[in-house]
Amino acid sequence: MRYLIIGNCIAGINAATSIRNLDTRNDVTIISDEKYPAYGRCLISYYLAGTHREKDILLKEKDFYQTSHIELLLKNKVTSIEPESKRVVLKNGKKIKYDKLLLATGARAVPLGVEGENKKGVFRFRTLDDAKSILKLVPSSQRALVFGGGLIGLKTGYALKKQGLDVEIIVKSPFILSRVADRNSAQLITSWLIDNGIKIRTGLGPRTILGNKWVEGVVLDSGEKEECQIIIAGKGVISNMEMADNVGIRTHWGIVTDSFLKTSMDNIYAAGDVAETRDLVTGEYVTSARWTSAAEQGRIAGLNMAGEPKEYPGSIPCNSAEFFGLPIISMGHVQENDEGYETTVRSHPGEYRYKKIVVHKDRLVGAILIGRVENAGVYLALIRKKADISCVKHLLLEDWFDYGKVSHLIEGQDGFRESMSIGGDIIRIS
Amino acid sequence: MKRLFVRVEKCLACRSCEIACAVAHSESEDLFLSVQEKSKPRSRTKVVMNFPIQCFPIQCRHCKDPYCLDACISGALSRDPETGIIILNEDKCVGCWMCIMACPFGAIKAGAHQKIALRCNLCQEREEPACVAACPTKALFFGEPQEFKKKLKTCQKG
Repeated sequence: MRYLIIGNCIAGINAATSIRNLDTRNDVTIISDEKYPAYGRCLISYYLAGTHREKDILLKEKDFYQTSHIELLLKNKVTSIEPESKRVVLKNGKKIKYDKLLLATGARAVPLGVEGENKKGVFRFRTLDDAKSILKLVPSSQRALVFGGGLIGLKTGYALKKQGLDVEIIVKSPFILSRVADRNSAQLITSWLIDNGIKIRTGLGPRTILGNKWVEGVVLDSGEKEECQIIIAGKGVISNMEMADNVGIRTHWGIVTDSFLKTSMDNIYAAGDVAETRDLVTGEYVTSARWTSAAEQGRIAGLNMAGEPKEYPGSIPCNSAEFFGLPIISMGHVQENDEGYETTVRSHPGEYRYKKIVVHKDRLVGAILIGRVENAGVYLALIRKKADISCVKHLLLEDWFDYGKVSHLIEGQDGFRESMSIGGDIIRIS
Repeated sequence: MKRLFVRVEKCLACRSCEIACAVAHSESEDLFLSVQEKSKPRSRTKVVMNFPIQCFPIQCRHCKDPYCLDACISGALSRDPETGIIILNEDKCVGCWMCIMACPFGAIKAGAHQKIALRCNLCQEREEPACVAACPTKALFFGEPQEFKKKLKTCQKG
């Protein structure tokens, strides 16, 4: 019997590890179209910034695949699935049989969709190879334009600034990080980035990319001309789900999964950026495209594939990043315009500190923390638990808020992972 | 496997555990010398309070199903196969604070001088965690679960 996993990032290797923990007998094979053992995809900006080398961003020890008896097929692209004969077809024509298949094929950057996009110097920023090709062009460049003000855009801009380039981030929406921040916090982050030498312009997009073979500049949709040698397309990602689509596996934003991460086809599972799962807060089906979700989905999909049924509770969008020493954490749903959502903010004028919570029907549904991020996970636990916070609402924004204030809401209710055991217990004798 | 147990009703929030922890993780491991060190000693444990109902020290629980492990983007966090505790490879930690975002107990802190997460490792290099040794009311107990149960029984009898 063979467990076959397509994709060698966190969802794939976590699934392989889960399977190995339960099943030491059967084959586990991972196929990847990249040429590296698993690396931290979120760390390629550190590599681009020059603070980390290739070996620093590898996720596992060198002998991980060998000691876990996981077969790794690098530089192999799967072109199609043959569900009837339970086989996948590789680009080189070879076929590999599977009994359980995991699609952890990830996502790719959305193209800019403008004229001249195929010129040299236009990059996506998704893989270590992307980082390497950008890095090659850095010594001969002075100016880089980043289109897109999401975390990927910002992290790329930050890395290129660290490399000494003149960086401008250009965003179509009225403010940066529009999916994970509100207007006020985005303004705070914008001014921090500007103070640190990154230029940011909003409400603009590219129209045409100039240059012959190599990028020389851009015409923006305002008609302005900007000179640059490097262009980054950071306008979000789309799922790599064509392969599943072609054989009739149900897809929507991503590959549709049930609560056990199984797709609409028997013996085929999906996890990571390609999988569409339920949002724990809104109940909507979404592709999360976040590291934490991918890691958890991979781990749980692996358990299910190896025959230990485990339900995936759903994802909460959350992320953490740091720019020039300013930590930023955003979780859950932080947009304020919806009716019935109550938001409270504590900001500190003149300081780079901001804390916001969003409450809906006495449940915490979102939070933003900038500058001071300790205890962030306590908020996330409250969101995950859907705990009634009406009695502690007035404490949540305080600097001295901590686990002790809400332990009675977090502990000992259903749905919380049976977690607090291994390291010890907090014992209350009444 | 030895674990750390907290008996909430015995904790007086004196915060001796915090001081002992900070000193134990300083360079000199001496209270008076450590406060003069370049990077101030910092505790990996914190007494949390919900006055006057309860107070207790909280530190990494080395969870069975740890959220921090799923959140770590660099592979710095892993479970030690021998001891079963969650260990941090400081060379791999990039200070992204994803683990701080994930820990439901708020038991991880951001390092001030180095971008490395600060978390309890149950004082692996010592026989007994520094916080346990320092607790004047014996609210902290380090040992096998069986031992702890036994101890609880004798306490209740007395």
